Amino acid sequence: MNLLLLGVSHHTAPVDLRERVDFSKRGLVTALRELAVRPTPTESVVLTTCNRSEIYAACEDTDAAHDDLAGFMSRFHDVPEAELAPHLYARTDGGAAQHLFRVAAGLDSLVVGEPQIFGQVKDAYAVAAGEQCTGALLNKLFPWSFAVGKRVRAETGLGEGAVSVSYAAISLARKIFGDLKGLSVLVAGAGEMAELTAVHLRSQQVKRIAVASRTLTRARELADRVGGAAVDWSALDDELLGVDVVVTATGAPAPVLTRPEIERVMHARRNRPLFIIDVGLPRDVDPHCGELEQVFLYNIDDLRAVVSENLARRREQTSRAEAMVSDSAEEFVVWLRSRGTIPTLVALRRRFEAVRRAELERLEPKLSRSGPEARARVEEVTRLLVQKLLLTPTERLKSTGDAATAARDAETVTRLFDLDEEGPDASSLADEAQAETGPAATSKTPVASWTD
Amino acid sequence: MTILPLLLYLVAGIVYAVFFVRRSARAGRLATASLSAAAFTHTFAIGMRTVEISHLPLVDTASAISAFVWMLAVAYLYTEVTTEERALGVFIAPLLVGLETISALSLTVSEPAPILDSPLLAAHVLSLLFAYAAFALACVVGITYVLLFRELKSKQLGFFAARLPSLQVIDAMNGRAVGVGWLFLTAGLIVGVVWTMLLQPDTSDPRVLAMSFSDPKIFVVVLSWAVYSFELYARRAIGWSGRRDAWLSALGFSIVLVNLVPVGYFLTESHNF
Repeated sequence: MNLLLLGVSHHTAPVDLRERVDFSKRGLVTALRELAVRPTPTESVVLTTCNRSEIYAACEDTDAAHDDLAGFMSRFHDVPEAELAPHLYARTDGGAAQHLFRVAAGLDSLVVGEPQIFGQVKDAYAVAAGEQCTGALLNKLFPWSFAVGKRVRAETGLGEGAVSVSYAAISLARKIFGDLKGLSVLVAGAGEMAELTAVHLRSQQVKRIAVASRTLTRARELADRVGGAAVDWSALDDELLGVDVVVTATGAPAPVLTRPEIERVMHARRNRPLFIIDVGLPRDVDPHCGELEQVFLYNIDDLRAVVSENLARRREQTSRAEAMVSDSAEEFVVWLRSRGTIPTLVALRRRFEAVRRAELERLEPKLSRSGPEARARVEEVTRLLVQKLLLTPTERLKSTGDAATAARDAETVTRLFDLDEEGPDASSLADEAQAETGPAATSKTPVASWTD
Repeated sequence: MTILPLLLYLVAGIVYAVFFVRRSARAGRLATASLSAAAFTHTFAIGMRTVEISHLPLVDTASAISAFVWMLAVAYLYTEVTTEERALGVFIAPLLVGLETISALSLTVSEPAPILDSPLLAAHVLSLLFAYAAFALACVVGITYVLLFRELKSKQLGFFAARLPSLQVIDAMNGRAVGVGWLFLTAGLIVGVVWTMLLQPDTSDPRVLAMSFSDPKIFVVVLSWAVYSFELYARRAIGWSGRRDAWLSALGFSIVLVNLVPVGYFLTESHNF
């Protein structure tokens, strides 16, 4: 069983192509159902977000599956194969696992460390599992990726800190006021940055947004767009008494708010904290206002500095996160390889068990004379003997990480013990293989302890 | 038995520090668990001592400090449960460890003076100790306010901004802790005054006769009462909040600490039972 990933993302395809291959358009479930009847994939999960469309599939032959799935993507989205092909990327086994782990950890995202993708990966898996499109392989891979994503976030702080100017303003407001729900906001001026910040504040459900502009019509327009109330420019001073956050972007040549004015306002406000976000160029607020107790003044450069510091911190954490992802992918490969040697292990165990049974049968006449207790003893001792003899070869075969060595070892074991002639039927072998992976998986990999 | 709570407080302090730096949820849970274990064994230790001496161990300074540590631990655990905010533990724990160490070092076993055999003792001591615990919380909260305030003002957001709750939340916690502490401080003082007035006319005990405003312990506690009263007044009436209040909380508690340890051990003539 092999793992194949096929997809397009913001790294390989322009936005118009990404839009055309967005699986959510025609429905994830439709795509999964169509995949289920394709010849090659035995399991599949479809991950689709605005930045990527990917299919994760379990298959026997990755080359055949690659062609099959590429054809499927092209037909499903009605995009000619020749147009799609240059933007498609494919990864197999360890590479595919590593890719998914990077995606889940937010390392492959446009804004590194962004948190939404983790939920999107979880949803994609939940939908596929709900449609019964997943099996032994993907049921292992996806929960594993959640564990990796969680661990990377918890241990590296990759997703921390605002990385856009308007979001930096929001997170600052949160550090000053806590919950933003009860806040009143005054937007002075009608510039684009002011609007963006106001929209962000609106999405935080602030209590009230007042918009003041030199021309009342412009104030009304902006107020309509951000769901606020327009106020007259002359009412600015009165508004300053009641609000908690002020966003200024007037484009006026000289400061609109001066230090004596803010000083007077703060006195009247009894020093209630005032957060001033000055995104105007040139600046709308006298920088000396920031010296006043309980006035928190941030201009556009201050916000940019906060953002670039956060970005730098994220970059610092990236290499640690990448190392964690690589380690996990290697562990996953070991698990995957161990699945390849399972038929050999099962056959080996049967051979040993058959020898044991045969010897016990040969001894049967003697054993029946010495009573049930001695008989049970012999049974027990031989069973333990077989188990102990098989322990080391089993573990060695399972822990071989590289595919060629694993195949060679399995072949050697098959030849040495002449296992080929056994020929058990396929279904019972698969059952035993399943039983084999259960305890082995929990003891050899840390997944069981991660999934909480 | 007296050493076990101290060791557990120490462990809790270390785990809270680990949690503060690493911010892993598991360390946070472990920190709360170890502090709860410390408070629990401490409760047990105080209970054992009560059975041993057949009254609440509140009389000598060492016992009173230990009871204070216990109250602070419980009060902190309560705020942690109600606010789901563990970041302050790292500031509280050193206080718990330090004071419990002082208490454990001075193992004085004293018979209570018969004069103290009164229900007013528990009312007086417990309400004052509870007030001190609230003031300790206010002080710690105040310090964190100043730390966060500095980062926000200097526009260098970093270590504390990533770990502490918002300024407004910290400020509200400070106000509440001071308010509650002030109520209990006032009540404890009133009980003390009434009790002294009941005792003084017909006793020759020099300690009771020394109960006056000029006794260091009484003088300093009234001083702390004045500081906290001013803080509450300033908050309500003249719009002092935030940084100035945070400093006042720190000042008030440093006075309380001076009263609890050096004055309580060496200077007071009235309160050395």
